[in-house]
Amino acid sequence: MNAEILVEMKKIVKNFGKVQALKGVDFHVKKGEVVGLLGDNGAGKSTLIKILVGYHQPDEGEIYFEGKKVKFRSPWDSRSMGIETVYQDLALVNLMPIWRNFFLGRELKKRIMGINFLDVLNMKKISIEYLKTIGIKLRSPNETVAFLSGGERQAVAIARALYFGAKLLILDEPTAALSVGETRKVLELIKETKRRGISVIFITHNIYHVYEVADRLVLLEKGKKIGDFQKQEVTPEKVMEIIAAAAGIGAS
Amino acid sequence: MGKDRLRLKELGAIIGTLIFFVLFSIISDKFLTLGNLTSTFTMAAELGIITLGMTFVLISGEIDLSVGSTFAVVPMVMAIMMNHNFPSVLALVIALLVGGGIGFLNGFITIKTGIPSFITTLGTMMFWRGILLAVTGGFPIILEKSSKTLHFLGGELGAGFRYSGLWFVILTIIFWIVLERTSYGNWTFAIGGNVGAARALGIPVEKVKITNFVLMGILAGLAGLTTFGRFKIVDPTLGVGMELEAIAASVMGGTSLVGGYGSILGAFIGAFMIGMVRSGLVLAGAPAYWYRAFIGVILIIASVINARTRKKVAG
Repeated sequence: MNAEILVEMKKIVKNFGKVQALKGVDFHVKKGEVVGLLGDNGAGKSTLIKILVGYHQPDEGEIYFEGKKVKFRSPWDSRSMGIETVYQDLALVNLMPIWRNFFLGRELKKRIMGINFLDVLNMKKISIEYLKTIGIKLRSPNETVAFLSGGERQAVAIARALYFGAKLLILDEPTAALSVGETRKVLELIKETKRRGISVIFITHNIYHVYEVADRLVLLEKGKKIGDFQKQEVTPEKVMEIIAAAAGIGAS
Repeated sequence: MGKDRLRLKELGAIIGTLIFFVLFSIISDKFLTLGNLTSTFTMAAELGIITLGMTFVLISGEIDLSVGSTFAVVPMVMAIMMNHNFPSVLALVIALLVGGGIGFLNGFITIKTGIPSFITTLGTMMFWRGILLAVTGGFPIILEKSSKTLHFLGGELGAGFRYSGLWFVILTIIFWIVLERTSYGNWTFAIGGNVGAARALGIPVEKVKITNFVLMGILAGLAGLTTFGRFKIVDPTLGVGMELEAIAASVMGGTSLVGGYGSILGAFIGAFMIGMVRSGLVLAGAPAYWYRAFIGVILIIASVINARTRKKVAG
């Protein structure tokens, strides 16, 4: 197997009752590569990703991570190996401050008299400093997430994944609800992630958002892979045409 | 900034407490006496111990309406066991286990069936109250002996203070630390704030929710035991309506009914305010039924203040 490949999914089939959500999809991501995963609603993008992270189990097919065959039983299995997912609405708790969100589920602790207390000072310090090192300046770690902009929230969630040693970062529609300026910031952050040698899967149905940062574009439609291009090989318009044609809408 | 935020959460309760403190001091010259302060604190403690648990349950996005019944069932178990000559410490432990069991049942039914805890605990509230009335035939149970164990729950501590007040203070400190300074507290906030995010981050949502219900049951039982320790008698209607007072105290203290937001310090102040209003109205010579009307008004005013500060703190 190619040593450059971080994750590879082979002939993945998944049925939900009588609906065939995935019909034998091959998919891979190389180390340090940014892959745009494109397709219309219901194309099978999120099913494919949920199988990759262990949320669903495939009916057929195999998954290899860093060259070894893996079977993830739950998202925690995949996370422990360095696959981090940032879901659109399930990333942060808006009512909680940044530092609590940053370490949620992986709190730093200090032992006092045999009891594990939160190491509040360190968590505040580390969260705000780490955000700064990847280019996000926020006023205070005590700021409630509800007060952050959509882009800042994405940034906090991405920063958290990087801090905890992600090898593969999966972003679910990270720019869907963002303004133009905010989208720019998130794209910058994805470039920064790539510079650190971390692979990214960028799920979207907006080719224009992913085109700038992607190395490769994978197109899904009706549970099948209908395209797999190096970015240089296609224009955004061509990608739209292929998706529309496969969806049976017609290009014009 | 962190301290500011903490203060803001409890603003409604603090303002309310101050207003009533000044008001009652003017109306009655007996209000600012040690005797009144201690009896206020006793009333605050018996309600407040429940309020601490209620605050955890509310923050995690659930509610428990059965606490008033638990408040009576647990001392009833202890009273019956002691009247049948079981050692008092054993009776205490079993009674508290019953409280924890009631809480576990609430949590288990809610989690496993997916029905709202409002419904689960409304059901168990009626069920346990019915059992109480059936077992006692509607008559109170009187303790036939004196007991040191009970003294440490609700007896006199000195200078008019009771042990219940001491337990209330100790438990407030413990639960504050658990909520604000442990992973468990962090998870409780997260589950109430965004259960999907909590799950995605690997937080054991079901376990935390059920544990909060169990703690709630034990605390409601303990609160009932402190009242039992004071009167040495358990009436089967003991604690009727207490669930709403505990929720009111919690909400006055800044806790949100929809979860994800709340304060243990606020729960303490909220319970204290209700205790103060109760004793203040008696001293002012107002008929007892005014108490509920007052609490209703305060609840609404405090909630309005809290909703505004919550907007400032959390958008």
